[in-house]
Amino acid sequence: MSGSLQSFEQLEALPPATFKKLYQEPCTTLALFRRMLPNLAKSIVMAMLYQDDPVPMSFINAWVKPTSRREKEMALGKLRRLCITSEKNQKLTLDATFKASFREALTGGSRSFGTPCTTEDKHPVTVEYLDNYATAQWEAILHYMVGTESERKPSEGVMRLLVAGGLMEKRSRRAEITQAGFSFLLQDANTQVWTLLLQYLSMAASLRMDHVEILHFFMLLGSLDLGQAYSKAGLTPTQLNMLEDLRDYGIVYQRKSSSDRYYPTRLATTLTSESAALRTVQQGFDAAMSQSGQGFIVVETNYRLYAYTSSPLQISLLAFFARLSQRYPNLVTGKISRQSIRQAIRMGITASQIIDYLTVNAHPQLRKNTPVLPPTVVDQIRLWQIEGERMKATPGSLIRDFSTERDYRETLNYAEELGVLLWRNDQKRWFFVSRHEQIADFIAQRARAQAAKAQGRA
Amino acid sequence: MDRVDATEHFAQHAQGDLPSLLVLIIDINPIPWTTNPLSTALPFNTALSNLLLFLNAHLAFSHTNKVAVIAAAAPRGGGAKILYPAAELPTDTKGRPQSRPPQPAPQPGEPNKYRPFKDLEEGVLAGLGKVLASVNEEDDGTDRTVVSETRIAGALTLALAYINRLAGAGADNLGQTLTKGTGTTEAGTMQSRILVVSVAGDVASEYVPVMNCVFAAQKKHIPIDVCKVAGNSVFLQQAADATGGVYMKLDAPNGFLQYLMMAYLPDPAARQHLVLPTQANVDFRAACFCHKKVVDVGYVCSICLSIFCTVPPDNICMTCQTKLAHTVGGMVVRKKKKKKAGTATGSGAGTPTVGTPRP
Repeated sequence: MSGSLQSFEQLEALPPATFKKLYQEPCTTLALFRRMLPNLAKSIVMAMLYQDDPVPMSFINAWVKPTSRREKEMALGKLRRLCITSEKNQKLTLDATFKASFREALTGGSRSFGTPCTTEDKHPVTVEYLDNYATAQWEAILHYMVGTESERKPSEGVMRLLVAGGLMEKRSRRAEITQAGFSFLLQDANTQVWTLLLQYLSMAASLRMDHVEILHFFMLLGSLDLGQAYSKAGLTPTQLNMLEDLRDYGIVYQRKSSSDRYYPTRLATTLTSESAALRTVQQGFDAAMSQSGQGFIVVETNYRLYAYTSSPLQISLLAFFARLSQRYPNLVTGKISRQSIRQAIRMGITASQIIDYLTVNAHPQLRKNTPVLPPTVVDQIRLWQIEGERMKATPGSLIRDFSTERDYRETLNYAEELGVLLWRNDQKRWFFVSRHEQIADFIAQRARAQAAKAQGRA
Repeated sequence: MDRVDATEHFAQHAQGDLPSLLVLIIDINPIPWTTNPLSTALPFNTALSNLLLFLNAHLAFSHTNKVAVIAAAAPRGGGAKILYPAAELPTDTKGRPQSRPPQPAPQPGEPNKYRPFKDLEEGVLAGLGKVLASVNEEDDGTDRTVVSETRIAGALTLALAYINRLAGAGADNLGQTLTKGTGTTEAGTMQSRILVVSVAGDVASEYVPVMNCVFAAQKKHIPIDVCKVAGNSVFLQQAADATGGVYMKLDAPNGFLQYLMMAYLPDPAARQHLVLPTQANVDFRAACFCHKKVVDVGYVCSICLSIFCTVPPDNICMTCQTKLAHTVGGMVVRKKKKKKAGTATGSGAGTPTVGTPRP
């Protein structure tokens, strides 16, 4: 999965009460369903959506193939964490608010999907104009980050956000880009937008804005239609405030801040798309940015790199991981070497980010090949990264102090089925898991069952 | 550290879900829909709204999911028509409509809907209205029997052609996304499937065209799901069986929506993990080439594997013109595999095809 999903997982940590509030809006419900659930979980939700009674667990167990137990546990775990389902007496219940909102989203009848403007705009706006606007605003932010001279400077709010998000650092007078900033730059547009928006969300607490309203608005933007004007009526004061900030990022367009209508740009309407849809967005942008056209990078098997570009942004990006040697009016040449890649990795850029970037921006001529990039180069870039990764750190929990061998075995098997087991030591009866919530539940359940048994015997 | 393998190191990059295309074929034959007990248990209006909800649910799975709806009817009752997406819209290279027709400005305060859902609903209803209007125009009220037969082969062909167009155009795009990050060379395609909601029985003369569609689908790995709301169909049973689709005959048509949501909604990726209803007994009977009758036991040409219900005149095969040495008592009970392959090759252009039939 792409990095966007990882950052999206931050949302899982929200308290249950927040989820309850989020599920009150059909459009947020739909977006969270689409974006955050694995495929199997979606199927389970759909199967339960139009059933009024709770579903017995035995039914779910029979429905999912025994060989897919791991996927099932993952799906159910996710549903539980997002407070979509709850389990009671071996029965699975779909959250009532979620159910009602999701049904409403499918059948219509709510007013959750934005209010289009009914009156004609005196200054009509085309889709191309919106694309140009969004690109210009977004590029201004990126240009600012890499420190190229450009005529447009992002607003104060954007700069504060970048610093707060750890993407840039204030050093003396000027802000400088950080390691996190480097890897941010190499991601695709959708991931970048989400990174900033989630940062915005975490800053909201200090601005005394409501989490729920902000998320509702993000999800609402994701469900709107490109090129359609929407009315500001019906937005809460918080959301009106946000509108101004989002205009700075190029996510929405308003001719004047006093105007009573707003247009979502392509950055907004693709917010809730999955990673698979991203390249088409990129293409949409590329069509709008006529100067850079499509891909421009050619990589040869001898590690030479040719980039048909004159954009300072692209050139500074390339300079992160390639040694550029010559520059012509429309062409930059360079070489990918062990040294240049190691240097990039030290800055916190990963091999897959570099490979993704090269693939996405590959020249049409290069695109005719399958795979697009020469395999030798791709493998070598990865090997260069692994060189430095003799040790891998995974955050997690150590589970130990089992009283009996049987307890240890059964819990271990459960962890293995969940796919969270990372390391084990049978002699000491220790093992290490990447996620402990479900294991803790399991142990508690076992303890309760044993206590009940002991009581029954007594 | 000798065994450093870059590919394994990056194996944890899970591939994103492939876009999934669902082609729904609705049997709009009026006679079964208006006959009891179906007309009371599941009126066409209810069925249609349930189906629309089901399609919305499919679209809700992912942004990239697509839907097409095809109506199947008798040639005189409208034939096979694509209801959605409307064909008139100019499409760009990716098969998406380039511009949308101007729509009436919605009233403020009117409840609204997620745009793709609304487009789908309006598109299907408009398409259906058009088909019904054209039927009413042509109907002279003389020939009722022709209307009662649903020609499913035409609709299946349309569905396959549509899938081929979309997947063909999208294949290149997807291939790129797949190679991205993982470095694999796997050629990605769109995951497509066909769902037939059928109410009418088989038309024996359609055996060969239907089976040809089934084999085409089988070759392209397109599952054909069949939801038999009323009646019974030998050919569609075979279609679902051969392509790995779901066949269900609904015992309680009033639970239509739940059937759809449980059995037909999971896409191929989710189906790997689910136990879906399977057929215990598949009716493997075929229709003969000479009189288009469904036969239990028949004669098979040893050269082209054509099926006949009686010995052809002069012992000459009608398909490949081979002189057959027929002896009394040489009747052969067909095996499953042979029959399938036989119809696939034998029905082509009527030319003799000699060789081992492909399974």
